[in-house]
Amino acid sequence: MDAEAQESFREFVAGRSTALLRTAVLLSGGDRHAAEDLLQNALVKAAGRWQRIDEPEAYVRQILYRQQISRWRLKWRRREVTVAEPPEAGHAPDVSGAAELRLVLRTALSRLTARQRTVLVLRYFEDLPEAEVARILGCSVGTVRSTTHRSLARLRQLAPELAGFGPRPRQRSHDFSPVEVRP
Amino acid sequence: MNVEELVREALREQADAQPPVPAGFADRVLGVRRRRRTRRLLSVAAATAAVVAVAVGVPLLHPGGNEVRPAAVPAPAGIRSHPDQSPPRELIAAGRTAMAAYYTRRTVPQGGDRGVTHRTYWLLNPETGRYEKDARWSFVAVAPGLRTAAVLERTLPAARIGLLDLATGEVERWIPVSHGVAGLAFSDDGRRLVATAYSANPDQAVKVADAGNTGRTDWGPWWQGKVRTGFHVVDVSSGKATWSAVPPGRNDIGRLDFAFSRTGDLVYSQAVGGRDGMQQFYDLTGRKAAAPADERHLRSDVPARLSPDGRLGAWGLVAEPHRVSYSAIRDPLTGEEIGRARGAQLLAWADDRRLIAWERDPERKEYRDRLVLVTIGEKGVVPLSGYRKPNAEYHQQEWNPVFAER
Repeated sequence: MDAEAQESFREFVAGRSTALLRTAVLLSGGDRHAAEDLLQNALVKAAGRWQRIDEPEAYVRQILYRQQISRWRLKWRRREVTVAEPPEAGHAPDVSGAAELRLVLRTALSRLTARQRTVLVLRYFEDLPEAEVARILGCSVGTVRSTTHRSLARLRQLAPELAGFGPRPRQRSHDFSPVEVRP
Repeated sequence: MNVEELVREALREQADAQPPVPAGFADRVLGVRRRRRTRRLLSVAAATAAVVAVAVGVPLLHPGGNEVRPAAVPAPAGIRSHPDQSPPRELIAAGRTAMAAYYTRRTVPQGGDRGVTHRTYWLLNPETGRYEKDARWSFVAVAPGLRTAAVLERTLPAARIGLLDLATGEVERWIPVSHGVAGLAFSDDGRRLVATAYSANPDQAVKVADAGNTGRTDWGPWWQGKVRTGFHVVDVSSGKATWSAVPPGRNDIGRLDFAFSRTGDLVYSQAVGGRDGMQQFYDLTGRKAAAPADERHLRSDVPARLSPDGRLGAWGLVAEPHRVSYSAIRDPLTGEEIGRARGAQLLAWADDRRLIAWERDPERKEYRDRLVLVTIGEKGVVPLSGYRKPNAEYHQQEWNPVFAER
């Protein structure tokens, strides 16, 4: 990496790393240290081929997503928290305030697997279409769809307070996602 | 509103709440890249030279499971090292842990054959990243986050605990306690303090004749000092303190500070007995309690204790071939050794695989040590500080680190 490339790399980090870190924090389930590690590793990889990258931000983001999932595969990071049986329907605590509900949801998000969380971040934070998510993660659209579906179902299990909020009306589709059983 | 919209809102809110990346992040990334490349080149060179490495680590690190962790560890993150500085002047840190302060000790004569060992602290200023001398305090514990410290004034035992803002150097609040205290430790979440109470200063010393019959004297610990009386548990936000008396044990002498167990349900302290590193647990009312299942095999003289994920226990020195030290990593539930890491004393975990340790200089016969970052199962170390001057005397120790979570 020559001096000019280093300068452009520094400029990129100064300008974009706060936005990238936000995504990394979401991918890490709110763990700021893990997020900094994740982003740092992605940037180190990007720095290695800086002069050959056309779209640095897209490249770094792709590394972030894939790295997070492969970390999960290697079980290098802490394992996902196992939660006991979901409470029975009707016993959910009354969480009326929107802020409290988001807090409950945030905790539930941190308990998803990295793969589940990554798919939700891509779909609902980055607002990417399913086909784009599939391209980034290197899987089929069907997998993205079923993972999204399972992740939302898992969130409902982890946060029974969501019971009153229905899923988005589904379009008829021919995917083979498992049928969601609502409490 | 449906669940998808709620998820979207929750994610956005969480993202917006994030502070910006730390200053100098690009330099940090470029530094890591440089180190990784150097290491890769070195490992290629080592392989070419057909150096046979001694197997010091066992890759199977998951107690009770069949998983094998990868041998390759992700590259070091957030390492701040100053191998040319002893004592350090600028931040030393690795992974989740930073050296939040350090102190020196000096014994001051009090008349006759008695003296008192005082500590002098240098505290990390989070604004400047430098250690600054603050001689006002006799004891300091730093809370996770490196912004706040709990401090005791010069005269021990102290009747109040100060909460010091490390950026401004000002005490924000004083918390009075009913029994004089001389030791402090935060719970893992930083919300509570356990303050150890003593009836007299626990750092008293007596003059002892030099073991070599040279006619010189040195300071030694005061063996009659059965002074520990119990502990306060202090809720930091409200300042409310509870008191629990602990009757002195037969062998209790001098400073035996309490600290919280991992979950914070119990406290423990070093127990003086037939073996080094023994520990005794107490419930929060001061009654003796059995050790938690995952802490019963730990040692009170190895400060690192349980790994952040709770699956590994840092243990003591087990081998020292050719002036190179190895400490054991044990399954905390069974006490079985499942790996080794370099280091004579494991001080704090940087993450689930790496620790900060004291390690001696293998090039010198005399014992001088420095802070290093070690990885379980790996022979190499990353120097973090310069070497401490060798000093065998009790009354004067060059510098001692105080670690806290970043």
